[in-house]
Amino acid sequence: MIDSLYLAWRYVVYNRVKTITLVLCISLVSFLPFALKILLKESEHQLLSRATTTPLLVGAKGNSLDLVMNSLYFSKEKPDFISMKAIEKIMDSYLAMPIPLYTRFHAREYPIVGTTVDYFQFRQHVITEGRAFAMIGESVVGADVATRLNLTVGDSILSSPENLFDLAGVYPLKMTVTGILQKTNSVDDKAVFVDLKTTWVIQGLGHGHQDVKTLKDPADVLSSSENSVTTSAKIKQYTEINLDNLESFHFHGDSSIYPLTAIIAVPQDEKSATILRGRYLSEQKNQQIVRPKQVIEDLLGNIFQIKEFIDAVVLIVAIAMVLAIFLVFSLSFRLRQKEISTILHLGCSRSTVIQLIGAEILIITIFSGALCLSALLVLQHFQGEIVHKLFIS
Amino acid sequence: MKQSKIPFMQKIMVFSGLLLAFNPVQAEEVTPLNVYTVNYPVKFFAESIAGQYAKVTLPMAADIDPAFWSPKADDIARLQTADMILLNGANYAKWLPKVSLPLFKLVNTSSEFREAYISLNEGVTHNHGTGGKHSHTGTAFTTWLDLSLAEKQAKSIFKALSRKQPKLNAKFVQNFIPLQEALLGLDAELSEIGKVLNGKALLGSHPVYQYMRKRYQLNLESVHWEPEEAPTEEQWGQLKELIAKHPAKWMLWEGVPAMETVSKLEELGIKSIVFTPIANLPEVGDFLSIMHKNVARLKTIIEE
Repeated sequence: MIDSLYLAWRYVVYNRVKTITLVLCISLVSFLPFALKILLKESEHQLLSRATTTPLLVGAKGNSLDLVMNSLYFSKEKPDFISMKAIEKIMDSYLAMPIPLYTRFHAREYPIVGTTVDYFQFRQHVITEGRAFAMIGESVVGADVATRLNLTVGDSILSSPENLFDLAGVYPLKMTVTGILQKTNSVDDKAVFVDLKTTWVIQGLGHGHQDVKTLKDPADVLSSSENSVTTSAKIKQYTEINLDNLESFHFHGDSSIYPLTAIIAVPQDEKSATILRGRYLSEQKNQQIVRPKQVIEDLLGNIFQIKEFIDAVVLIVAIAMVLAIFLVFSLSFRLRQKEISTILHLGCSRSTVIQLIGAEILIITIFSGALCLSALLVLQHFQGEIVHKLFIS
Repeated sequence: MKQSKIPFMQKIMVFSGLLLAFNPVQAEEVTPLNVYTVNYPVKFFAESIAGQYAKVTLPMAADIDPAFWSPKADDIARLQTADMILLNGANYAKWLPKVSLPLFKLVNTSSEFREAYISLNEGVTHNHGTGGKHSHTGTAFTTWLDLSLAEKQAKSIFKALSRKQPKLNAKFVQNFIPLQEALLGLDAELSEIGKVLNGKALLGSHPVYQYMRKRYQLNLESVHWEPEEAPTEEQWGQLKELIAKHPAKWMLWEGVPAMETVSKLEELGIKSIVFTPIANLPEVGDFLSIMHKNVARLKTIIEE
């Protein structure tokens, strides 16, 4: 047997192009269904785990999937905004604890999540270094953000402009990192958390500037009266919130109409959840309340329908591939007729010939299996990120 | 008004007594709530209602005006651990928009009478370049000086505590009723004083008496003086202009004014009395005893 394996090995090495082609074909056909299964299982896990732990979501009426994907996975599709009045409505009902979310801005490629400290408690996140944000302008970063940007407590992170061509837009805000979250293996690892009011400052709804009553340069003041000061656009606005300028920060207009992207509603119990849902169904024309689990299950239903189709395609391709491999081997044996008759003339039995061919197939299969397994291991290692990029972001 | 409330209160007391008798709550079973407040009146109401079932903290030093407190991050970190944060509402705590607190733990004790907030138009309006014009006008925030509103705030605290600890509802009812009676009693007394004063001109040393003026129909105009600071010549000039139109003989002070100021006012025929809003912890007494003293001092105007 060892001799047969040696001869088979020499043969596959000599015909390396043919061997590599066969190994790649077999590996690919074996890899595809397993890879698909791994990715779908991971996507199901990722999508459902957060959806299951998020009882209810309130947002603007429209695409419920966009609302869920943006609120749970901070995807780039932004739902329409709702106002802070929606928070008051839930609070006044005493049926659920509202956790606001405003996920409009980014710091580099990482989403800035405007929320309250309740979010950490709700998701059972642990701050391994530092503390939660306490003042506006402070931030808590996910574990991956801290690692990739090499951030520690006391460092700063800058918000990115929404639009590169918006030259007249608000200045980026420099936010101090006050805490780093423990790794959670969720999208929260790749997010920057700030107080809701900090996102409003990023948006320009709140700002801090020089005291308009003490401006010395006459060019700074366009007009002034007892109750009114009109300043020029060159007045210095602060791009960082610190203890020295915190007092100067203020918000304009009615804060009850300030924007949010969604509200996580944590009901007291199942009965409260039902009553709250009923109220939204009967009273709210511009807002919707959804059960994320239900939305994600619908999405997974569609994904699994696609999976069945892909499985069928893979099966057909696999059959075609097996037939092709069979053809390659049978043609190869026909070409090797002279070689086989020489082996027989040398006094070898037919079983030796079968052993030789079997050893060749075994070597190719082992290599294909090893390659397929290695690829699957690599895939398993990166499955979280791949799924996030393919299905979530 | 008071007469109609008594039988109802008696019923509640009997009912709460029965509840206590048949459903006793052992003190050791319940961990006291960790409650933070933004000013002394709210702290007093919460302590009076919750009793031993809550540790009520006013987080700033006693010499600071709680409305204009500047908390540090450590102060906010402590507030974030609270079970409940009782707010005065009416834009009282100016520091609130600059900090991050757990939303669901916030209780606005005056939200029920939001419509009754008094708007101020004393702020500075400004704009930046061609951008939108905006003003910094505010809301009068010493709501508790209208004792009927103070009673509503106390009721709101009672409801919040009962929601948080439903098992202790009977205890809270038992504690709330005497407080309610005391606040409504003070309200009745002040209403009576308001009627007797019948539009007599008064001065306030600081614009903090807006709710009191409205509720008790006081003919009161305020200047912007501090008790411990001697007014400037400009401020004296403004006062003289004011009393020419508003011939007041009494000025209400937030705290004990400087003797020099009192003498100078007397030269103008204006007497001084203290009616303290008691926004922060008093050195002596409590909210009710100090309010009774305030009312007693106000009565001297009638007696003269």
